[in-house]
Amino acid sequence: MAKLVILGGGVSGHTAATFAAKWLGSGHEVIVVTPNSKWNWIPSNIWVGVGQMSKEEVTFDLAPVYKKAGITFIQAKATEIHPEGSDTIEKAFVRVESTDPDSAGEVSNVEYDYLVNATGPKLNFGATEGLGVGTELGEHTVSVCTADHAVHANEKLNEAIEKMKAGTRQRILVGTGHGMCTCQGAAFEYIFNIEHELNKAGVRDMADIKWISNESFLGDFGVGGLHMKSMGFAVSSKIFAESLFTERGVPWIIGAHVNKVESGKIHYELLDGEMGEEEFDFAMLIPPFAGVGLKAFAKDGSDITDTVFAPNGFMKVDANYGAGAYENWKASDWPSTYQNPTYGNMFACGIAFAPPHPISKPMASPNGTPIGPTPPRTGMPSGIIGKAVAHSICDRITKGEDAPLHEASMAHMGAACVASAGKGIFTGTAAAMTIYPVVPDFDKYPGTGRDVDYTFGEIGLAGHWIKHILHHLFIWKAKLKPGWTLIPE
Amino acid sequence: MIKEIVRYPTPPSVEYSTDVRIFTDEISSLIDNLKDTIEANSLDALAAFQIGSMYNVIVIKQEDGSFLELINPRMFNTQGSVTTTEKTAYFPGLSAKITRHEKISVVYEDRELKQHSLKADGALSILLQRKIDYTFGSSFINKLSPEEKKLFETKLEFGSDVAISEVCPTTFKRDYIVKFINLLLAGMFLLFIASFFIEETMTLDTIWQYQLYASFLALGLNIIYFFYAQYEGKLYSGCTSCQIGNIIGTVFISLTKLTLIMVLSYLLIH
Repeated sequence: MAKLVILGGGVSGHTAATFAAKWLGSGHEVIVVTPNSKWNWIPSNIWVGVGQMSKEEVTFDLAPVYKKAGITFIQAKATEIHPEGSDTIEKAFVRVESTDPDSAGEVSNVEYDYLVNATGPKLNFGATEGLGVGTELGEHTVSVCTADHAVHANEKLNEAIEKMKAGTRQRILVGTGHGMCTCQGAAFEYIFNIEHELNKAGVRDMADIKWISNESFLGDFGVGGLHMKSMGFAVSSKIFAESLFTERGVPWIIGAHVNKVESGKIHYELLDGEMGEEEFDFAMLIPPFAGVGLKAFAKDGSDITDTVFAPNGFMKVDANYGAGAYENWKASDWPSTYQNPTYGNMFACGIAFAPPHPISKPMASPNGTPIGPTPPRTGMPSGIIGKAVAHSICDRITKGEDAPLHEASMAHMGAACVASAGKGIFTGTAAAMTIYPVVPDFDKYPGTGRDVDYTFGEIGLAGHWIKHILHHLFIWKAKLKPGWTLIPE
Repeated sequence: MIKEIVRYPTPPSVEYSTDVRIFTDEISSLIDNLKDTIEANSLDALAAFQIGSMYNVIVIKQEDGSFLELINPRMFNTQGSVTTTEKTAYFPGLSAKITRHEKISVVYEDRELKQHSLKADGALSILLQRKIDYTFGSSFINKLSPEEKKLFETKLEFGSDVAISEVCPTTFKRDYIVKFINLLLAGMFLLFIASFFIEETMTLDTIWQYQLYASFLALGLNIIYFFYAQYEGKLYSGCTSCQIGNIIGTVFISLTKLTLIMVLSYLLIH
């Protein structure tokens, strides 16, 4: 009986765990170690952040779902990986610290035959002075990264709306809180949902809404932009995004690294090295991501964290980390099996794997500050990767150690993204975009690096309906309700 | 080498605007071609797309006659807005009013792919914004306000800026006259229907009198419409002579309805 331990119960970990449990059956054990008792459909946090959905609508308890699926659920935070075991424990194991209210802080060891690291990111608020401390959100801004953050964001937004109703103008700032952030898409959705809600509340004219991000052009989204084919020619997401921002009366600051947040004010550095300040009454700034800070130790107890993890804390996989400068980047640098190069029974998926380099063009200010989006790993690629990793491990368990690994490279994978720009059955809008491949392949597709026939975007009410249907569909899938395996990642 | 400039209606290349990752001989000769083409056509700048290249490169001829080469330019800091009339080689002979950022900051790379930055305002700011749009696959048509876009599309149709000061509107004041005539005819028709249910000769005679007066009014209004509509059409230089057909048609339909109602009413009452 083999033991598969999955660290993390987010989109990628949950997908890997549920498929592994289904494929392995009761003959083997699947264990999920996650600090959260609830599963969160993160894309819908945007709607919680504007009061259009409750926290309960975007989360559900994991325990009953895992019980039904025959998965062992351990509510705990993994702190150390011992891939060679230790002098007292023969097998490889993970040290975990309980986050269950009944046994909080208790440390235990979970042995494994195969390990999937799907911990997601650490929300690194502490990287920007004043944005927060460590993983804790600071007092000056709000976030929509977790359901609780989104509930808090909505409370603050409502306070701002009340002030506007009372005749006080409000400055609203939304974007990225550091030069190395990803997830511009979430901020993009939030700013337009706020704009939509302010219109509904009749106070749009009392708000100055502004965008700030680390993108070198509007519409980069961390993937170097999209190139949408329309009426026979390709147009960049820059043009599309600029039209949308202009139409909704939202000015923008881009190429910005937010380096300090104070009460009502941010300080930033621009791509040309110039420093600036922007005042706000309400600000939602996405923090940069880092690895969750897992440590790794060899059998003799020596620290091998640097061998297993990249400097940013994400786990090393079968990527080419020595690609060097931008001109050398290739699609083949990107991992396809997500297997750790040192320990073949460890895999990383979702946000937890270390990407070889960004997708967008790397840029820095003359002061040497890197300012550019890091690569996003949204729900669709995370789910696909999680499933491929589960498939590989199940094959190795059931067919033997030599079973070939399944591949899911982001350079051969398309992604669909539906970005909400306002919620409402008849008044909602969303931008639906597809991109193929996620990582540009300049050798295969000279020019943009992407297949413009499969890369397109459209904005409208239908997009909103799709977004809303997807919300219910993915929660249905995650709850393992009838037919869940038929719903794609 | 002097290259042919891509002009409307040739769409921007479908494989446009990839960032230059390695400075090769191809990029070097592209920059030379851009310079030669600028000189030969007495232009102030060209984006690589405008001579059919997919690379993100812009060359600007500066006031002192030297060339500024911008590789992978990105515009990131913007201030203010300004509306000016712009022209571009992609739409030869045409112009449009466009609102753009007044001041901008741009980062770009040189032949060693070393990053530089510049600040621009006035004409240079507008020129750079227009050229950067090309490098992202867009002509200035995507920057026009809905009204200006409509006007520009008319200019494109006629291929000329001249004599198209406005677009021919789709609604006119004269439409109110037609609306009033139609209401009048509807009233007359109701009187005609009412005549079926009245047997008293005196009342029928009165109704006929009303219809007669109304018919004179409808006829008069049609005459007024016929002349006023032509006058109104001439106020807009964007309106073509095809309007006269429209006006004659409208009057003909109106008079036909009027005649029909009057003939039927006459036959019923007498």
